[in-house]
Amino acid sequence: MNKHKEYLNGLNVFPVPDGDTGLNMVLTIQGAMASMKNFENQSMSPGEYLKNFAEQMLLHSRGCSGVILSLFMQGFAETVANDDFSKENVYKALENGCRNAYEGTENPREGTMLTLMRALKEKYGELMEQEDDPIVIIGKTIPYLKEVLDKTPEMLPVLKQAGVIDSGGAGFVVFIQGVCREFQHNGFGANGLPVPILLKIGETTRKYIAKGLSKFRNTPFAHLVSSIDFSRIQNNRLREILQNVRKATTNLSVNNHVNNKKKLQEKLIDELEEINNLWNPDIKQKYCTEFVLESDKVISREQLREMLAPFGDSLIVLQAGNKFKVHIHTNKPDDIFDKVKQYGELVFTKVDDMKKQHRNFISDDVIDYRRDKSIYCIVSGKGFAEILQKLGADDILCYGKNKPSVDQLVKGLDNLKAKNIIAAADDSDILMALKYAVSLCKSNVFIVESDNPIDLIGMMMGISKDYDIMTMFEEAMKSIHTIPFCGIARANRQVLADSGKPVKKNDYFAVYKKKIILSNPNIEELAIEAVNQLVNGYGLVTLYKGLPSRKNNGLVDRLKEQFPDIDFEEYYGGQYNYNYYITFE
Amino acid sequence: MKKKIFIIVGDNLGLSRDQIDYEDLEIIKFPVLVEEKEYRESDQYSANWLISKFEKENVVAKSSTLPQKDIADAVERNYRNYDLIIHVVMSSGLSSASWKVAENVRKQYEDVIPIINVDSRQAVNGVGNVLLGIIDIIKNNDDLSIEEIEKLCQQVVENTYSYYIFPDLDYLYKGGRIGRAQSLMGSLLHIIPIIGMMGDDPEGIVSSLGKGRTFKQVNRQVIELINAKMKEKSVSKIKRAISLSGYGEKNKDVAQELMEKVKALPCDDFVMGKPGLVDAVYCGPGAYGVSILL
Repeated sequence: MNKHKEYLNGLNVFPVPDGDTGLNMVLTIQGAMASMKNFENQSMSPGEYLKNFAEQMLLHSRGCSGVILSLFMQGFAETVANDDFSKENVYKALENGCRNAYEGTENPREGTMLTLMRALKEKYGELMEQEDDPIVIIGKTIPYLKEVLDKTPEMLPVLKQAGVIDSGGAGFVVFIQGVCREFQHNGFGANGLPVPILLKIGETTRKYIAKGLSKFRNTPFAHLVSSIDFSRIQNNRLREILQNVRKATTNLSVNNHVNNKKKLQEKLIDELEEINNLWNPDIKQKYCTEFVLESDKVISREQLREMLAPFGDSLIVLQAGNKFKVHIHTNKPDDIFDKVKQYGELVFTKVDDMKKQHRNFISDDVIDYRRDKSIYCIVSGKGFAEILQKLGADDILCYGKNKPSVDQLVKGLDNLKAKNIIAAADDSDILMALKYAVSLCKSNVFIVESDNPIDLIGMMMGISKDYDIMTMFEEAMKSIHTIPFCGIARANRQVLADSGKPVKKNDYFAVYKKKIILSNPNIEELAIEAVNQLVNGYGLVTLYKGLPSRKNNGLVDRLKEQFPDIDFEEYYGGQYNYNYYITFE
Repeated sequence: MKKKIFIIVGDNLGLSRDQIDYEDLEIIKFPVLVEEKEYRESDQYSANWLISKFEKENVVAKSSTLPQKDIADAVERNYRNYDLIIHVVMSSGLSSASWKVAENVRKQYEDVIPIINVDSRQAVNGVGNVLLGIIDIIKNNDDLSIEEIEKLCQQVVENTYSYYIFPDLDYLYKGGRIGRAQSLMGSLLHIIPIIGMMGDDPEGIVSSLGKGRTFKQVNRQVIELINAKMKEKSVSKIKRAISLSGYGEKNKDVAQELMEKVKALPCDDFVMGKPGLVDAVYCGPGAYGVSILL
């Protein structure tokens, strides 16, 4: 639905051409999905789940289209709450959904989403005579729904005048198509056990059998294998092996010759070992690397192939004009990039850590990657956390006074459920822990070696998620250290400024480029001095107020008075150590 | 034999009629709804009229799709005198309804006269740039088949890039045209967004190209982006640049600064665009930018 949002928005002329039908439908569904997380720990049947989901949809419904869709879902869910998903009951559910939507709409009009709901019910009823599987039936209604959708301008004059089909109706068809597609891929037939569980069953069986088939027969695990529903093992090889294990253990008394038993045991162990090894290969080349090189210097793909072959395996080189698309598994992606850059311009790059992806794939808690790229920031101040989030960071670890642990960082990175992550912290002391966390987490993480919150703002200003991950990382690295700033803090003991002048305990001092440049017992005077010294050539000065100065007001007004030609802005950063960060742009 | 070609375009093109050196052209005015009352561009109802209403009265404005009847009428009036009609349509990624309406008219007349609907992948002065690019093709090529014209129009589309600085994205958002630039909204920190319509983006929606904290920064970034695009496309000269500015008094000086920087780039033709009523709905006060044809 989200993918088609803009298209649906663009069709929106009825009832009001406010261009938000797609958005409303998306928000309605997204809201319900987000709320269902509250039920994560509760066990419930599909019927109960749908009922809760429909309720949440109603609660989160937006706009006409969102409300009507929710009403339909409510009626549908009411009927299947008994978990009866037979074709007859699904028909009743569609009928009830349709009735609920019509009755709940104040002035039901044909040519809208309601017509599509009715068309679905009617066509489903018709096709029920020929098919048994409700999903197949719903799938077969789609061409008819599209026909009806094309006729909506004939039913609703406003659509005809605007020359469009009904947006809500189109949204409903997108919704039904999506549901169908999901069921076809992950539907009723796909109740197979996940790969990590299958591998665990195989490996545990092997370990038990290694102790002897007779011993294995008496373990609780043997009972599990004997009661397993083999239809759920969608790995043919493992299913066959486990069936043999079950046969062997139940027929032990018949086939009890010692040599036979030994041979059978060895055979089963070998097979299980083999399957385990196949799923856990020694990945010699860690990075799946892809790039597009635009080059007039490379003559042929053979030439490029020859040049790159020594770097790894699984090499594929495609050519279209002067563009070469390359795929290779390698341990040295950077070396490859450096090499090919001599021959032209890299217009796209992608590097996936296959070891990590594999580790995730076979782990107990597989991460279902939800996004390709994410940005993760680690900051001390709450104000900075909020600023960075609003600038596009996907998640922030706001650690307050105590630096985050490796465990916290791993959890934070894994929680993003992103294949690739750009991670940056506001303190260089966190880098070590972050690097260790990266080695334990399940995503490809690119660490931006920043050491203050202003760098993080620079990074967020400079990168766009529209870029590929490598470009994002390059841009992030380029964008840090781009905003000049000074920090103002209070001395908790006497220190020496870089000029050699002492800074007394409890005086304020200004740090610029890691050097103490000024000090003063009065913070406002110090800030004015610092701005005066550093503002030359800049037009905008921004103050990020820290926790120690959270109650101080008036500094920005004094600065405005002193420097009337300069623009000043003030934000709450919430940092612990510095009263202010002052940036110059 | 040279074909007689008539062109239709909506008035969201960032140019006035007298800036388009082509006689066989009809500009159809978009309906603009301000507080539910419909207006069309005129001396009285101009971009500055709407901008002033935005600033002083905080009104909400919207635009409607070009009425199918208006386009069909334009075809009806002219088809007898021409061999081909080209309709330059705003990006279908921004308004699929506009595209659908154009296609309906094409189908309605398919047995009467060939119509090429060109999905410009642009809005405002970007549409103007595609239009002028197509007029260049018509003027410079005598003996082209319809297929060849269609192909060349597509090349113009794919070589047109527009860069905008919209200080307030809310106007774009309310109009449902925000696209990928939504990521630039809602910042706590005051930022100046750079958005764009890239001709090589088949989706034809608004892209987020960057952001800055000062106009100096964003102007510099726009020039960097243009230079990078020229490098990427191996082009050493801009064929035509059309400016977008004049939406109220706000940001006049910084818009001027950007135009000076663009003029300093290698460029065959620099056109000062004209603000339009329908464009003002989405631009809002102080918006400025430039569209380039490579």
